[in-house]
Amino acid sequence: METLNTMYPLFTTGGISSNENLLYGLLIGIMFGFILERAGFGRSTHIAPVFFFRNLRVSQMMVSSILTASTWIIIAVYNGWLDFNQVFIPTTYLWPYMLGGALFGLGMIMSGWCPGTAIVGVATGKLDAGVFLIGLMVGMYFYFDYFDKIVDFANSGNMGKYTIHEALGVSIYTSFLITVAIGVGLMIFMRTMKSIRDKKGEDI
Amino acid sequence: MKENNNYWNPIIAGFILGTALFISFMVAGQGMGASGAFARITAQLAFLGNWDILSSDYISGYIKHGNALANWTVVEVAGLFIGGYISAAFAGRIKQSVDRGEDYPIAKRLFWAFVGGMIIAAATRLGRGCTSGQVLDGASTFSVGAWIFMLAAFGSGFLFAPLFKKQWKGVK
Repeated sequence: METLNTMYPLFTTGGISSNENLLYGLLIGIMFGFILERAGFGRSTHIAPVFFFRNLRVSQMMVSSILTASTWIIIAVYNGWLDFNQVFIPTTYLWPYMLGGALFGLGMIMSGWCPGTAIVGVATGKLDAGVFLIGLMVGMYFYFDYFDKIVDFANSGNMGKYTIHEALGVSIYTSFLITVAIGVGLMIFMRTMKSIRDKKGEDI
Repeated sequence: MKENNNYWNPIIAGFILGTALFISFMVAGQGMGASGAFARITAQLAFLGNWDILSSDYISGYIKHGNALANWTVVEVAGLFIGGYISAAFAGRIKQSVDRGEDYPIAKRLFWAFVGGMIIAAATRLGRGCTSGQVLDGASTFSVGAWIFMLAAFGSGFLFAPLFKKQWKGVK
């Protein structure tokens, strides 16, 4: 058997061309949209209840997909298939992420959508999703227009690519275990809150 | 026609989505995104016939390498639309509606959808992504920032939820 060389990600290691990468991107997007619709995320009424601890499908699916993807990644890294250094990891900007996250939560409970699910909503005829996406683009335009006034804040707290293992000075495998622990902790928190709500018998 | 409410179990759906996400990392070296495509579409629309707009650093950052839409995430988001349509079409779930709680006025619902969209635009630019490109991709690759963004989003969602109780009344 030939020696296994690190050959993934296919695109960054030169295994596929730029155009092939775009074609695969289209196929990956189709899978993504199909899965989101099948899971019920083409409707805002399936998304908003998570913030009332009424229906946990949003948090369950998020944690399940994070733990699944990170498990596959750790297997691929362990076996030397995937060069983790070539995987895109968003830069961490501490303060903008806190404010951005807080605005995101407010926008989600207000609109019932996030950008990805709203695309599925539009594809399946939901008018509220279409209006959300128009608002999203108007908001983008305002952001671009005012960007020079907030650029200092938007780039503040820059910690670079900041992974759990870099932050703690441990191996990527410990990072994985911590990710599992956070995910399980989040699930337990959500279930506990839901059972408290259920006992009170409150509807939204 | 009775609506088809037969959806996948969220844990199993998450397993399938996580596997798709892994395939995305293995092929493209990046995960799926959504908000970035709308930033690019907006930049491209603002640029149409308007060269002055390039004085905006943010917009010119998208345009300077050519068409803002010639980008992996934009193509992937086109696929996202197609995939969502195919799934709903096969399940008989394509139906025009404005989803909301019982007795909630449509106009108010659409107003909040619009304002929420505007707020989320700023949120995704500050957060460099949304539920897909920041939270799912970042947390799967052990990024600390993804968890900061996600916990802030959930915390804020719980905090503000009581203000929007009427909009989601009776929703299960």
